[in-house]
Amino acid sequence: MSTRVNEGGEVAAFRNVSKSYGRVKAVNGLDLVLRPGETVALLGPNGAGKSSSLDLLLGLREPDQGSVSLFGGTPRAAIEAGRVGAMLQSGGLMGDVKVRELVKFACAIHPRAHRVEDVLRSAGIAEIADRKADKLSGGQEQRVRFALAIAGANDLIVLDEPTTGMDVTVRRQFWATMRAQADAGRTVLFATHYLEEADSIADRVLVLHKGRLIADGTSAEIKAKAGGRRITFELHSSDGVVDEAALRALPGTVSLDVTGHAEGLRTVRIRSMDADAGVAALYKAGFYPHGLEVTSLGLEQAFLTITGEADDEDRGAEGSEGSATENRDAEERAL
Amino acid sequence: MTTLIQLEILRTLRNKRYLMFTVLYPALLYVFFISAYSGGSVAGGIPAKSYFMVSMATFGAVGAVLTGSAQRISLERKSGWVRQLRLTALPGRAYTLGKIASCAVTTLPAILVVFAIGGIEGVELSAAQWLGLGAALWLGSFVFAALGVALGYAAQPDSVQPIVMIVYMLMALFGGTWFPVGDSLKKFARFNPVYQYNQLASFTRPGQSVDTAAIAGLAGFLVLFVAAAAYLYRKDTKQA
Repeated sequence: MSTRVNEGGEVAAFRNVSKSYGRVKAVNGLDLVLRPGETVALLGPNGAGKSSSLDLLLGLREPDQGSVSLFGGTPRAAIEAGRVGAMLQSGGLMGDVKVRELVKFACAIHPRAHRVEDVLRSAGIAEIADRKADKLSGGQEQRVRFALAIAGANDLIVLDEPTTGMDVTVRRQFWATMRAQADAGRTVLFATHYLEEADSIADRVLVLHKGRLIADGTSAEIKAKAGGRRITFELHSSDGVVDEAALRALPGTVSLDVTGHAEGLRTVRIRSMDADAGVAALYKAGFYPHGLEVTSLGLEQAFLTITGEADDEDRGAEGSEGSATENRDAEERAL
Repeated sequence: MTTLIQLEILRTLRNKRYLMFTVLYPALLYVFFISAYSGGSVAGGIPAKSYFMVSMATFGAVGAVLTGSAQRISLERKSGWVRQLRLTALPGRAYTLGKIASCAVTTLPAILVVFAIGGIEGVELSAAQWLGLGAALWLGSFVFAALGVALGYAAQPDSVQPIVMIVYMLMALFGGTWFPVGDSLKKFARFNPVYQYNQLASFTRPGQSVDTAAIAGLAGFLVLFVAAAAYLYRKDTKQA
């Protein structure tokens, strides 16, 4: 099939987009297409360019280079047509105004508005509708801002760290609402710090690092890319000498880490692309592992691994590959 | 856009600080000045109750528009509300126009309350003069609304309040708000919009006609402030 560039197949597109603030390259050659109905998580450490990318996507800033399009046109045109709803990190609310009045206002100016009561209900703020908008808790304020983002029938919803300041219950409610939006066929793009949100909600995960897109795939693909699973066990010296070379030679091994706590006791951690074959070979090689565990690498660890690898590439020739791997494993252990 | 303007007006009238500062405060000062002069005249032979009715009305009106626009715009730029509005279908200028429109409505109470006290205290004007004076002072307040918008886009929220207060008080001090501007200072007073604003009332005084120089002066300030506000607004939009 040929590439689909018609409007129906493309919600948003970044084409070789770069943006600098002074000497800092916030977004660096970003190429990305969002398709209808996707729920996409945008991950990245602080300063990775997440918010900058969203600003560019929404037309709040102009790219230095490249182009950004929404539904085949400019971001501004898409917003004016009522196709985009957005909730940014710093979206203060009007003071001296009640929540209901604010939502009513948002509905009044939306070209494809929903009913005020429906918006209040879907955002879970019906019970605080008569409160003043500037006298709310952080989580309540966040939900009011969410209500403003879903005041009409948008085709794309953009959320920048939407659950910051929400407690666990509210956060769960929030994502239930969000999932309903996605089920209704809307495209959802959200930036987050909570990797479990990306893992459980998104069907596509993007990892930004230093303004570049370094990973793009399902959560499972991202985890696999980072080196699938971890095998952890202990070896006792009474069972024989620990031969690190033999451990390293196990099939699928990506990295190896051996530490000694007590006399004659070694803890071994292996990151493996093929844990099944690795464990089978471990026994075949004559090792006697105690307390063997095979765990999947969480998205959080995968994320750290991928961003760590990108840093290593940046460092390039300086420093040996070995020491970089050790650093990375040290980061993982710290978790 | 009308919904935004409605909302802006509603919240301003709900704000107690606004009522205190821009309606009650000038009204109280006016009552105080009348009793302090106990029926006398200010320098130049104008009865104190007539003179201060105008200067307190302008004092309240300028205060209303400067705080209503400058402070709000500066704070709302910082809080992200301005960005939030840019993510709606509202045209970009709606926010600034909404602020100016709500300012224009909210100056009316400041002017009318002082006028009502003046009427009770025995300021005598013909119906045409009352209407003309009210209209002149109301229209004149747009100059300061434009200044307020410019200051709101120029100043950061933590410094906007002192900046507005200093500008406001200096203009009032040398603009005839507290006492008539002496002859030696009059040649500088031309460069003070509040002085020109107070001069709009000259047609109500016996033997004086409409001060066309004041109208021209205010028109000049309006052009200047609108240009500054438009420039600063565009600059801010690029940065947000």
